[in-house]
Amino acid sequence: MVKIKYLDRPSLSNTERFFFIDFIKGMSITIRNFFRKTITTKYPYEKLTPPKRFRGTHAHRVKDGKEPPSFLAIEKFMEIHDGESRCVACYMCQQACPVPTLFNIEAEQLPSGKKRVTRFDMNLLNCLYCGLCVDACPVDCIIMTDNYENAGYSRKDCTIHLEDMKERGLDFDKRRYNEPDRIWIDDEMREKLWGQIKWS
Amino acid sequence: MKELILTSLAIGVKSVIFIIGMFLLAAYLTWIERKFAGHIQQRPGPLHVGWHGLLQPIADALKVLTKEDIVPEGVDRFLFYLASLLAFVPAIMILAVVPFGEPINIFGVEIKPYITDLNVGLILALAFGSISIYGVIFAGWASNSKYPMIGGLRKAAVLIGYEVALGFAMVGPIMQAGTLSLKGIVEAQQGLWFIIPNILGFVVVLFAILAETGRTPFDVQEAEAELVSGYNTEYSAMKFGLFPLAEWYIATFVLSAIAVILFFGGWNGPHIFGPLSPFIWFLLKLGMMFMFFLWVHWTLPRYRVDQITEIAWKVMLPLSILNILIVAIWIMIFG
Repeated sequence: MVKIKYLDRPSLSNTERFFFIDFIKGMSITIRNFFRKTITTKYPYEKLTPPKRFRGTHAHRVKDGKEPPSFLAIEKFMEIHDGESRCVACYMCQQACPVPTLFNIEAEQLPSGKKRVTRFDMNLLNCLYCGLCVDACPVDCIIMTDNYENAGYSRKDCTIHLEDMKERGLDFDKRRYNEPDRIWIDDEMREKLWGQIKWS
Repeated sequence: MKELILTSLAIGVKSVIFIIGMFLLAAYLTWIERKFAGHIQQRPGPLHVGWHGLLQPIADALKVLTKEDIVPEGVDRFLFYLASLLAFVPAIMILAVVPFGEPINIFGVEIKPYITDLNVGLILALAFGSISIYGVIFAGWASNSKYPMIGGLRKAAVLIGYEVALGFAMVGPIMQAGTLSLKGIVEAQQGLWFIIPNILGFVVVLFAILAETGRTPFDVQEAEAELVSGYNTEYSAMKFGLFPLAEWYIATFVLSAIAVILFFGGWNGPHIFGPLSPFIWFLLKLGMMFMFFLWVHWTLPRYRVDQITEIAWKVMLPLSILNILIVAIWIMIFG
């Protein structure tokens, strides 16, 4: 049996009723806000940098010698040169994706028997930015960058391709590869960077 | 004959100056309101067009004037066009009787900073204020749509209640001054401002002005959460722009002027700014009054419709009548 608790609305005292005390309280709050500094960002002129783990537009990391061991195991079957996207077309990102049709991945077999990725398109209009593709990637190739200005003038502009993903990944790693992660970081390092954090 | 032509010419020129000045002022009152509302919510308001958004009203006017003017099918065209004019014209007509200062002599020519000084000026102002509700009701009716209809009728219900209270609250200053002319009322406040015995009447007038101009605690006629945009839902372009311009800016400004004249001594004040001090005092008081309405608007939530009419008939009307009694006793004692 659900018990229902009835509450009486607090009634106004005569002082409050005659002198509009609640009006004055509210208006004192607004006038105090009026003299405070504004807290807004003047957006097109000032842009905030999101944290490193921000889930923005996707990008590809390139083959630069910092690959995980899983890439070294598969490397000899792939036609990937230094500075190219390290995607191995394993389709794991598409498997993990809630909307798998947004991926359009194609690869071909070269006469030498090696595999080459020819197409990696993502239709970001359907993307939820959930980051499951990033978690699924076995070679640490697909990442999400801090770019949040991904509006376009046509639907075509909202599809990202292999080349621009590579460029974005290079740019992101150049800017923020060495930045410590806010969560996976030693406590001493965190205190040095952002001060003492009180855990509840 | 020559005198008649000269007088009418002078009044015509003065009217044109007043109307154009009021238009420009209303445009910049929108800028003031947006800045004020922004800073109350800790954001800067218009900032990009010009220095601190000073050209924003001009950009807005250009935008509103060049928008497509849609007249929906099924509207009563005559009333639809008439409504926006009926909301706007009476609001600006009140300006005819509002004096902005004493007559001043410039190069031997006496310039009166008001259009006319009628001996029934206050009644005229009240009458024009009441006429302007026809604009709202016609807009609601002519739009042939349910939300404007509800909004227009709500506004009518609110205004009927508050016009009565407003009229009775203004009786106090009229009794003390012994005249209905706004200039006469100001001249009667040389010693003590009428706020002293009329404090109850002033409170009633504050509420009535908020209700009459549809500012926030009483903005039931355009309650965004309930009615899409209230009585002006079907309007577009400049026909839409006239409604907020008339109600929120011109009507509030002019009624603030009347409240200042009735209770705060109009342009009376120490002559510390030289020959222009009456104007400066009047505009200062007027600006503070207007800013007070903005402050209330951007602070308080909205009353329910039934609460508003209840306050009007059960609280405000008895208060204004009590105010008449108090003022009568004051006059009997102090003469």
